[in-house]
Amino acid sequence: MGVPKNKREWLGLIQPDLLMNLTLRDLRSKYKRSVLGWTWSVFNPLVAVVVYSAVFSIFLRIEPSVGDPSGLNSYAVFLLVTLLPWQFHVTSLTEANRSITANSSLVTKIFFPRWVLPTSAVLARFLTLIVEMLVLLVLIALWEGHIAFQWIPVVAALMILQLLFTIGLALMISAANVYFRDIQHFLMVALQPWMFLTPILYPLNLVPADKEFLGISYRTLYQLNPMVSWTKAYRNVLYDLRFPSLERWLAILSATFVVLYLGFKVFNRLEPRMAEEV
Amino acid sequence: MGETSNAITVEGLGKKFRLMQDRNWTLKATLLAGHRTRYEEFWALRDVSFEIPTGETFGIVGGNGSGKSTLLKVLAGILRADEGSAVARGRLSALLELGAGFHPELTGRENVYLNGSILGFTSREIRNLFDDIVEFAELEQFIDEPVRNYSSGMYMRLGFSVAIHVEPEILLVDEILAVGDLTFQKRCLDRFARLRDEGRTIVVVSHDLDMIGRLCDSSVWINKGELASVGSSSSVLEDFISHDENSDVNVSDQSHQLRLKPDDLVKSLELVDVNGHSMSSTASGQPALIRVRYDADKAGEPVTVALGLYRADGTHVSSINSGATTSAGNDVGVIEVDYEMSSLPVQSGTYEISIALHSRDMTKVFERHTHLFRFEVDPVAGSHQTGLVALGGNWSAKNVDKGN
Repeated sequence: MGVPKNKREWLGLIQPDLLMNLTLRDLRSKYKRSVLGWTWSVFNPLVAVVVYSAVFSIFLRIEPSVGDPSGLNSYAVFLLVTLLPWQFHVTSLTEANRSITANSSLVTKIFFPRWVLPTSAVLARFLTLIVEMLVLLVLIALWEGHIAFQWIPVVAALMILQLLFTIGLALMISAANVYFRDIQHFLMVALQPWMFLTPILYPLNLVPADKEFLGISYRTLYQLNPMVSWTKAYRNVLYDLRFPSLERWLAILSATFVVLYLGFKVFNRLEPRMAEEV
Repeated sequence: MGETSNAITVEGLGKKFRLMQDRNWTLKATLLAGHRTRYEEFWALRDVSFEIPTGETFGIVGGNGSGKSTLLKVLAGILRADEGSAVARGRLSALLELGAGFHPELTGRENVYLNGSILGFTSREIRNLFDDIVEFAELEQFIDEPVRNYSSGMYMRLGFSVAIHVEPEILLVDEILAVGDLTFQKRCLDRFARLRDEGRTIVVVSHDLDMIGRLCDSSVWINKGELASVGSSSSVLEDFISHDENSDVNVSDQSHQLRLKPDDLVKSLELVDVNGHSMSSTASGQPALIRVRYDADKAGEPVTVALGLYRADGTHVSSINSGATTSAGNDVGVIEVDYEMSSLPVQSGTYEISIALHSRDMTKVFERHTHLFRFEVDPVAGSHQTGLVALGGNWSAKNVDKGN
């Protein structure tokens, strides 16, 4: 596969129509034959916000950091601006992970580029994230009276980078899951601690910087988790109303492209035998 | 480029599978076993080479498990060759399973777009072809219904229609013409004929030797993963059939197993040769006997046996009924009824026998089994007959010139 030379080759490489039709299939079939349909997709974040706010803000009395320079001090907003991207992360990976095994009839009967399966699963979830984030912007405006709309391009950039990062991860795990079905169990186990090791429910400054493990501070170790960078960046933009630091951007960009590159590498490596193993 | 261009070139092709007795579906097992995961290797195809010239209709024959479907999947790009190569030149479409990838909850319309794009169409191309696709499938009224409400025939028709409208330069077909009703099958065949006339290359895998003989210019016979014969269809089929007759391993054992339950009236239905041996295949023009056993005690009154002979595509060949001849004097216990033919009067193909047990006055049906028994009729090697029936006549010639 060389670098595409013209529009036709680019289209052959990116498969826009196939991606769109598979994404639409995922979206359309998801809530077919359910009475509440699309409203279900709102309940999940809603319930999470209520429960987490009660437990972490009221019972455990976690103080959200005060928005700087916005001056915001609301646990619900503090939580939501990172919880929605996190839930996108979790559900995309779970759904993308089974996308190849669940479509085995396609994989064994028709020749088509298989990477579109996990990718469209992530894309379908990404479209819901867009809607959720727009609703969130409106809610912030209503509750806190501050308008975050001028930050939309920055949020969009973060979201697109997160999309690419997630696609990279999804390619790796979905391909591996064809050969080892325990990837899906591993994923369930891994996502839970991953969430608690990401500053979604609490501010980053609760992670001690003065305690060390093997000579490296806890906070430095903690920040090796790429999701910390996204979480902080989303919170900077939507809660603090501040442009994320250059370091954050560099961390995000490098994580995105390394993972996306590895994702395609791993996927191409595992693709040839997929039809017989699935 | 040479003077003749080949649509498909297969060179030294080999495909191996891992036999899964010891398959590790878990990471733990793999980690424990280290790199030496134990599995048996099995070559489904080995050292297969042939060429298919552009515009030719080409058949692939072989027994069950011979590797012919694997070959088709390698040609389609679904499986990757482990040795050698299979190169296809031109836009390729494979009809391996009609409607593969249809989503039951989506409407016919949505599935046409989905399936079309999986087969490599852009949305714009599908929009242009949409009306043709729906018209060919005869589903205008139902196109906005979810396909889970479709009958299997409707499902197949839509799947076929999408696949055939891809306008492939090379079309791979795996045993799918046995579906749909007769008129639809006819239209499928017409469509194949049209593609052929347009100079497209068609590769067909089938058990229906008769169809291969009629449709295909040349063929290849794959036996146990190896190329056994390649060349003109008539010579390849002759090789295949003569080998099949000599081999003790019967090709399809499940095909003639009866779906009878212990408490059915009909106990057995067999095709028997002159020596009284049961068989699942025979040749056109050979003597044959259909033997039925039924439980006369359970019937409680004299029975008339009616047999129906059908081709696998549903064509009704003949129906016969025993009238009152099936009385063995005292109708108790298990009665055996034979229908003897001195020469089986049908051409090669796959046939099915249906049976019904009636009361003598034909007013009651005790039991009916449709398509109960399936058997193959092989063409007679070297014979030049086609059509439905084997007339069984003899040619003769004499000189009638008076001036002699």
